[in-house]
Amino acid sequence: MYDVCIIGSGAGGSPIAYELANAGFNVVVLEKGENYTESDFNKDEIGVTRRDMFTPPLNEQKHIINEYKADGTFTRYDGEKSGWNFWNGSLVGGSSNLMSGYFHRLKPNDFKLKSVYGEIKGANVVDWPISYEDLEPYYDKVEKVVGVSGKIVKHKQQEPRSSAGFPYPELQTNGATKWFDVACKELNYEFIPTPRAILSQNALGRNGCYYSNFCGSYGCASGAKGSGRAALLQKCNAKIITDAFVYKLESNDKKVTRAYYYTSHGIRHSVQAKIFVLSAQAIESSRLLLNSKNKYFPNGLANSSGELGKNLIFSAGGTGSGRFVFEKLTQKQQEELMQVGLFFNRSLQEWYDYKDKGKKYKGGTVDFLFEHQNLISRVMREVYNENGNLLWGDALKDKLHKRLTTSRMLTFEVFNDWLPTDKCFVGVDEKVKDKYGVHVGVINLYGHPHDLEVGEYLAKKSVKVLEKLGCEEISYDISAAPPPNLVAGGCRFGIDATKSVLDKNCKAHDLDNLYVSDASFMPTGGSVPYTWTIYANSFRIADVIKISLKEKL
Amino acid sequence: MIVNLRFRRTFLKAGFLSSAVFLMDGCSLFGITTPIDTISVMHKDLFPEARHLGITTNSYMYIVFSHPRISEKDKIFLKNGVKWLNEEALKMYKRTYTKLSSPQRQKVLEYVTQIEWGDSFVYDVMNYMFEAMLGDPVYGGNNHEAGWKWLNFQGGQPRPKKAFL
Repeated sequence: MYDVCIIGSGAGGSPIAYELANAGFNVVVLEKGENYTESDFNKDEIGVTRRDMFTPPLNEQKHIINEYKADGTFTRYDGEKSGWNFWNGSLVGGSSNLMSGYFHRLKPNDFKLKSVYGEIKGANVVDWPISYEDLEPYYDKVEKVVGVSGKIVKHKQQEPRSSAGFPYPELQTNGATKWFDVACKELNYEFIPTPRAILSQNALGRNGCYYSNFCGSYGCASGAKGSGRAALLQKCNAKIITDAFVYKLESNDKKVTRAYYYTSHGIRHSVQAKIFVLSAQAIESSRLLLNSKNKYFPNGLANSSGELGKNLIFSAGGTGSGRFVFEKLTQKQQEELMQVGLFFNRSLQEWYDYKDKGKKYKGGTVDFLFEHQNLISRVMREVYNENGNLLWGDALKDKLHKRLTTSRMLTFEVFNDWLPTDKCFVGVDEKVKDKYGVHVGVINLYGHPHDLEVGEYLAKKSVKVLEKLGCEEISYDISAAPPPNLVAGGCRFGIDATKSVLDKNCKAHDLDNLYVSDASFMPTGGSVPYTWTIYANSFRIADVIKISLKEKL
Repeated sequence: MIVNLRFRRTFLKAGFLSSAVFLMDGCSLFGITTPIDTISVMHKDLFPEARHLGITTNSYMYIVFSHPRISEKDKIFLKNGVKWLNEEALKMYKRTYTKLSSPQRQKVLEYVTQIEWGDSFVYDVMNYMFEAMLGDPVYGGNNHEAGWKWLNFQGGQPRPKKAFL
């Protein structure tokens, strides 16, 4: 019997594997996907981003998606037929291999949204059972163990830190970044260098960033990116079993007793452990618990509260863009603009908290970055003319050459709270099964109108920077479309066992030995990408489990 | 035995792209074409610059039609698009698309891209054509990175050692 069995090897599972294996415990990690090393990763646009080599084929594994309207009616989408895909990376280390690594901490008020900003009609906002101070040491630990590069600058939204600066200096930035800084100063905006989970120099037994020009969506060939695989799993002796899709957790009334998994060929195996940790990413973690219902837990494992799967959240917001064109630039500026590989790395948190028309709002973060270098995607965005007609032949040739060689798109991404509601939750479909014969997850989606209001505010402020920079074709799109890679909730933690699935240490209220360590625990999501918080919380849970296991010895 | 099975699989896959598409004029059979013949001519019509750069894009369609990650629905749509395009050509000029003059083919493209299916079909054909032209040379197109050089694109490192098929 193992001491600990971890289901899922991404940002939620890998810190626990790392901490407990290095503390001498017998740890096994069950991962649905394959294992890779740095030498396996390359920048094949077709394979990685167009044939989705790191996610399951939708004709084998899919979701059912119900998109809700405010009146409670919904439209049902079959993931396979619609191509609507919520997989983010089935491989050892999970989607942390493929992240861009934009790392922002939550801020103290994110832990007490209800107390600070009050109730919002139609939203299930609650305070967290822990505070920023509880998580701060673990944010700090992630900086040092996973590796975060950046530069601390004073600004009014800066959260308290126990370390003065980041352990690794800023990554190199493109020449155009300094134009951004000037524009922000003229607008009286406080910009910050974006912290990244990317090593800017050789450290921690990994190589520094080599500015490959292809970061987000791609595996890192140097190990600079702080994936759970590169930073943690490769540095511990936890046993990793790949091709292991866990479809059921067996339990009695107090404990999980066994995890059952299938290989891709349908061979069934099981694992016994003293403690089970679930970290399959929010949607799949809720699905597994719902699919594990038994006579003790007829509504789903650890679901005596009826809260399992509820209050699924994403990151609200959207994107915007503007185009730098050569005609407005000097030759030197043109050369700076077209430097490839170097990062833009600028963020605005000026309106993480703001007042509008006398009302206090929780706002969010805006990250600025160049349009992704994926060439085929960039070309395919140019094949229509301004009237919406397809171009081809010489007209397309001339347009492509001009656009791709004499201009460059700067984009921004808005992150604000996706408010938890009754209409956004995970279920399982009673009829539809995946290739393993297991009921697929149902993703019920609803974006609260408040999310759009805040997103609009942030986007309008951000657009001013693009205007100041002299960009052309400025536009933005704030919508309730959920980003599949920024997902949390479904097993919210809390003090009250009748209103939450997990306790404040992310242990199931109902079971003595089941923890959930991905983003499922989050009752509200903050206004930043989730990965840093998932890592930090997972290190926190690892400390709790360590104590629990030592008590059992 | 394994060799034979592989051969059979390859044969079947290749067959889809080079199998006959029967073209009807009203109720009677008017002509026969194959997806690869029509799509090859479309590539020349849609982006002749690829040939000027020494890039061959049509053979990449064999990869597309045999790729397990491209859905059957998408493949059938491409094949149907070939059929419908040719049927429009027959209606307009009484000849299949590949047998028309270049200006006539342009007129057919201009016509069908104003129709919903035609816009989607030509978009899809261009999508795979540009994958061939601008994807990694390991896929057989983008000869000596000519497509990348044309757009001053440096690619990312490391490059794939083999195609993801």
